[in-house]
Amino acid sequence: MQKANRLSLWLLTCLASISLIAPLTAAPSVKQPSASERWTNLEKADSPSFRRHVVPLMSRSGCSGRECHGSFSGQGGFQLSLFGYDFEKDHKEITDDQEDGVRVDKKDPTQSLILLKATNEEHHKGKERIKKGSWEYNLILKWISEGAKIDVAETGEFERLEVLPKEIVFKKTDETVQLRVLAHWKDGTVEDVTQITRFRTNDDTVSNVSDTGEVKCTGPGDTHIVAFYDNGVHPIPVMLPVSDKVGPKYPKIVTNTKVDELVLDKLRKVGIVPSDKASDTEFLRRVSLDVTGTLPTPSEVREFVADKSADKRAKKIDELLNRPAYAAWWATQMCDWTGNNAAQLRGAGEKDFNTELSRLWYDWIEARIAKNEPYDKLVAGIVLATGRTSPDQSYLDYAKEMSSYLTKNHPADIADRPNMPFFWLRQNVRKPQEKALAFAHSFLGVRIECAECHKHPFDQWTKNDFQQFQAFFEPISYGANSNVKETVSYKSMAEKLREETGETDKKKQKKAVEAAFEKLVRAGEPAPWQELFVKRISTRKLSDKEIAKLKQKNPNYNSRVATPKILGGEEVSLTDYPDPRAPLMDWMRDPQNAYFARSYVNRVWANYFGRGIVEPADDMNLANPPVNKELMDYLAEGFVAKGFDMKWLHREILNSDTYQRTWKPNDTNRLDEKNFSHMVLRRLPAEVAMDAIALATTSSQQQSIFAGDIEKRAIGPNVGSGRKGQSGYALTTFGKPARLTNCDCERTSDPTLLQTLFTRNDPELLTKLEGSSKDNAWITELRRMNGSFSAEEKKADGELRKARATRQNLKKRKEMALAKGNAKPEELKKVDELIAATEAKEKELTGTPKAPAFNQEEVIQEIYLRTVSRFPTADEMAKAKEDLASAKDPVDGVRDVLWAMLNAREFLVNH
Amino acid sequence: MATHSYCDGVNRRDFLRVGALAGIGLSLPNFLQLQAQGGVTPAKGKAAIFVRLSGGPSHMDTFDLKPDAPDTHRGEFKEIATNVPGVRISEHLPKLAQCADKFTILRGVSHTLAAHELGTAYMMTGNRPIASLRYPSYGSVVSREMNAPEYLPPFVAIPNYGNYATGFMGPEYGPFETGSAPQAGRAMEVRGLALRNGVTLEDVDRRQNLVKRYDTAFGEYAKEDKLLAGMDQFGQKAYEMMRSEKSREAFDLRKESENITKMFGTDQFSQSCLLATRLVESGVRFVTVTLGGWDTHQNNWETLKNKNLPTLDAGLAGLFTSLAAKGMLDTTSVFVTGEFGRTPKINARGGRDHYPRAMFCLLAGGGMQGGQVIGASDAKGEGPKDKAITPDDVAATFYRSLGIDPTKEYHTPSGRPVMIVRYGKVINEMFS
Repeated sequence: MQKANRLSLWLLTCLASISLIAPLTAAPSVKQPSASERWTNLEKADSPSFRRHVVPLMSRSGCSGRECHGSFSGQGGFQLSLFGYDFEKDHKEITDDQEDGVRVDKKDPTQSLILLKATNEEHHKGKERIKKGSWEYNLILKWISEGAKIDVAETGEFERLEVLPKEIVFKKTDETVQLRVLAHWKDGTVEDVTQITRFRTNDDTVSNVSDTGEVKCTGPGDTHIVAFYDNGVHPIPVMLPVSDKVGPKYPKIVTNTKVDELVLDKLRKVGIVPSDKASDTEFLRRVSLDVTGTLPTPSEVREFVADKSADKRAKKIDELLNRPAYAAWWATQMCDWTGNNAAQLRGAGEKDFNTELSRLWYDWIEARIAKNEPYDKLVAGIVLATGRTSPDQSYLDYAKEMSSYLTKNHPADIADRPNMPFFWLRQNVRKPQEKALAFAHSFLGVRIECAECHKHPFDQWTKNDFQQFQAFFEPISYGANSNVKETVSYKSMAEKLREETGETDKKKQKKAVEAAFEKLVRAGEPAPWQELFVKRISTRKLSDKEIAKLKQKNPNYNSRVATPKILGGEEVSLTDYPDPRAPLMDWMRDPQNAYFARSYVNRVWANYFGRGIVEPADDMNLANPPVNKELMDYLAEGFVAKGFDMKWLHREILNSDTYQRTWKPNDTNRLDEKNFSHMVLRRLPAEVAMDAIALATTSSQQQSIFAGDIEKRAIGPNVGSGRKGQSGYALTTFGKPARLTNCDCERTSDPTLLQTLFTRNDPELLTKLEGSSKDNAWITELRRMNGSFSAEEKKADGELRKARATRQNLKKRKEMALAKGNAKPEELKKVDELIAATEAKEKELTGTPKAPAFNQEEVIQEIYLRTVSRFPTADEMAKAKEDLASAKDPVDGVRDVLWAMLNAREFLVNH
Repeated sequence: MATHSYCDGVNRRDFLRVGALAGIGLSLPNFLQLQAQGGVTPAKGKAAIFVRLSGGPSHMDTFDLKPDAPDTHRGEFKEIATNVPGVRISEHLPKLAQCADKFTILRGVSHTLAAHELGTAYMMTGNRPIASLRYPSYGSVVSREMNAPEYLPPFVAIPNYGNYATGFMGPEYGPFETGSAPQAGRAMEVRGLALRNGVTLEDVDRRQNLVKRYDTAFGEYAKEDKLLAGMDQFGQKAYEMMRSEKSREAFDLRKESENITKMFGTDQFSQSCLLATRLVESGVRFVTVTLGGWDTHQNNWETLKNKNLPTLDAGLAGLFTSLAAKGMLDTTSVFVTGEFGRTPKINARGGRDHYPRAMFCLLAGGGMQGGQVIGASDAKGEGPKDKAITPDDVAATFYRSLGIDPTKEYHTPSGRPVMIVRYGKVINEMFS
């Protein structure tokens, strides 16, 4: 934590000075010699350090890469830690090789195998990595001749990397800039490590970087070059403006909010001019969908357009944030991030109540979002949850409390419970490492999977960091509480239940126990529920004998017990904390924390713009820096300063011009998808799309009720989450996440052919459009208004359809016969006659169009308001009138135009 | 920019000379020249079936057994002979052993990405994944290069594909996912395809015109924006599919003759393979079938013996023999692969872990010669014996069988030129 903060503070101060030509003498006033200067002359060469020079050199030369000796099984019998961070192991591997002999030959250093191989003097599958007699060669040679010592204790901890210049703004392609990298160590040492640093570009269409740190511009845009040395990972921004609108040529743009100011600072640098503000209707549709997952109703659109007050947008934002649909939609998303999958909620009691527990999980979060509980408090209620809500709650009381949420009559409100334990119940996070991964994803927006096995390639995390982080979760259990001895316990109650069944057959007994359990639960009686608790772990050291015994059982048993250590922070002594999650939560709440607030800020931003300030939104790592760091810092710091006030954050974003810009691009920002210069089009999320279809087709009375009735909404309680099946077909097709993996990417927003087939022709959609006995559709309403079909009309309609089908069949027969070429003229004539006859019948049945009993223009306007939340243009109005006039039944005409609008891209896209 | 050559010694632009891989030496521009001069036979593949064994199947227990390896490596299974003399595979693949003349085993295929996501990205694109670009999958490239009849999607995934199929190419080249696996003797229920609720073909036509009349809000930008362009393509395709009787029949397994259906098992994988052959027969260009469950970190042999191998055996043998029986094997390229092999050394839990340095792939049809073993792994199955076959080489070979030039360049939306396969060399023995 300390490190990361200092780094970011430092970056902030550095970014103040932006210049293409690096003031190389900036930070440390003394110029540091480069590695080649230090080791070119073997006579006068410095003493190399294993950690500071040898390992980084091998890493830069590719030796410890995954393709080479960093592979899990090494190469040619020689294995290094991946990306070189396990110094002891690597040192041992290099120097202590009885099997192969002389990787390091201290008596005759030039005969050391690592040199012979690296120079390809002795055949090396990896070819020549360094030249004989080069500074690289000398560095290793000198290290060997001085005894090939390990010096991790002497070097002390690495502090930070400094890369100069801090930022590169190119003027044209093919321009180059040499980077300079300085390593700062805790003991005060500062070294130029440019030549032993690894570099990477995040986008080689903008610039690439050579092994020696020369950055070359390859095209317009902006990206980062990342430097890797020891466990330092340091990105610097690199860009080439995309237009000539830079400096004095950049137009004057007024900014009203801090967010706009920060976004514009970046746009100005890359020569992108933002789009204009969106119209009222464009804004209202977007903000309603984004904040509440709900289309505005036609009357809402009319009112908003008619409102002449200057602050109507701000007022609308406030109003939306107070709606139940806001709490529902964001609770659903938080259930995504925290992995609320019903199928995983097993084993809480003698019978599974998966979907009900999943619903409780949702309800608990929703209530808190509705009352805008501070985000840190909300998360603490999940992170620090235990089964019992106070130290003096007995098991019996707990067992009764759990049943109370699921009683048949008047169940208790889970929202009144101070914490929500089911995050820890999931079957897919039973193991401590699974808990660590899920935790990091849900609350920190960090993917630390890599560090489970090796040094994270794009971040500072080491395997040790992971093990020490995982240690926080070792004692977290969901089961029978082994800490306390009570007369009534889970075990005693479960045993009693089993005995009372009187069954001896295992299968029958299980069934009977399930039934008895459910009966108790539904009656609100205490029932044997498992509980979430922190297992008391003995701190006593195991004797050698005990360890030997454990090793016998499990050959992989590791007697070293990891001390919990916060990611990038301090070690924690568990004797000070009965619950190891408490110091973790304290750390997250610390205003200096680099992840907790940012992960929420970034996810909220991603929801509003279709991409995060860090993208992917849940992959914050040092090598994947924010596209606009100042913006991220401002929002995250503000969010913390406001006491983790979620609505503050929403308002801060929504009230900015940046959010309120139109999607319509200009010449400078057509290709911009990441700097927020115009609204990027996004397909509606699955739940929002389904609700939008329902809202657009339902009857007028139902419309406002449905918009507010969260219970029926797809954006609301996700009883069906984690289940695939016919009922969830549409949601699955449109990319609703299963919430099974630690990745926000589970939710997909790409269009697919199946989605199109759904909106065109799926029975579910067509039924919604026409209405059914269950659902009153707007079309049904119009039919009634227009005088419903008489029995005769219905019959005629049936006949008409039959006639049409006959004609089609006949035509097909004719075509086939013609294609085969064996048609007899007299038969063809017959078919033609039949076709003519059916056509005549069709004409007779079609008759003259019926006059509508409604105002055409009003209805057409209503179609547009229902689907795309705007009024039709004059042209669109004329077109629709034409189509309505040509329909036999005017309501059919309305239905068809409504169907067409549901299938227009303007409907399924948020713009 | 200086590039690293790799420690495995394969400098990707080098010509390879020795060992079992002598045939790889022909680089593609070379090949095309030869083709132009009539030096090589033109490609025969008109469509492809890609069978994805997700999780990473153990090479040591399937198509690359090491009966002489030590106990720490060998595993429980024995080898059996096949209908091709000298080619031996696992005893739990008896049906495939009877049609080994129809496919070729590539051994010692090797890469270095031991994570599922990365390995999958590599094997399904033929390009090693990099940070700044997502490569398009085989199916997306084929969709772009080869036209399907207008009433069928060019690229179908049974039952689904997962994320990022299209890479930088935009959603219109994405797979049509059936959503579920077909069941024996039943029409595949593809929702939205059947005409129900009293909708007639005439209605379908009329409505298609209506959408065009009303879907105008984005103007010219609709052509530029990837999302909008993709949705538009799907709109057209959906219309053609709904209109077509043929598209509905392609998904109806009841229309298949008994001679063919009896070649398959009745489980979902076999039926998916059967559906794949029907779709290809109807004009679909690329079908993926997925069989998961290969991530056998524990209970490797139990799982393989009782579940995975019998399923794979029935489905794949059905696929090869039915394609041959229909006379379609020569025009249908088949590619079977996982994302990596598994550790030759057996772990403490009776399983094998991720291992990309030695794996197997199967290739068949599309003018590719069956009944061969190409490449080899070393004595313990730990790496290629001589020169490695790279996923890039397999990709180039696969594309070659379909008549697609792997060195062809596409442009990303930002204008960056990207080759279909950056580094692969065609394995010429496949076409001898």
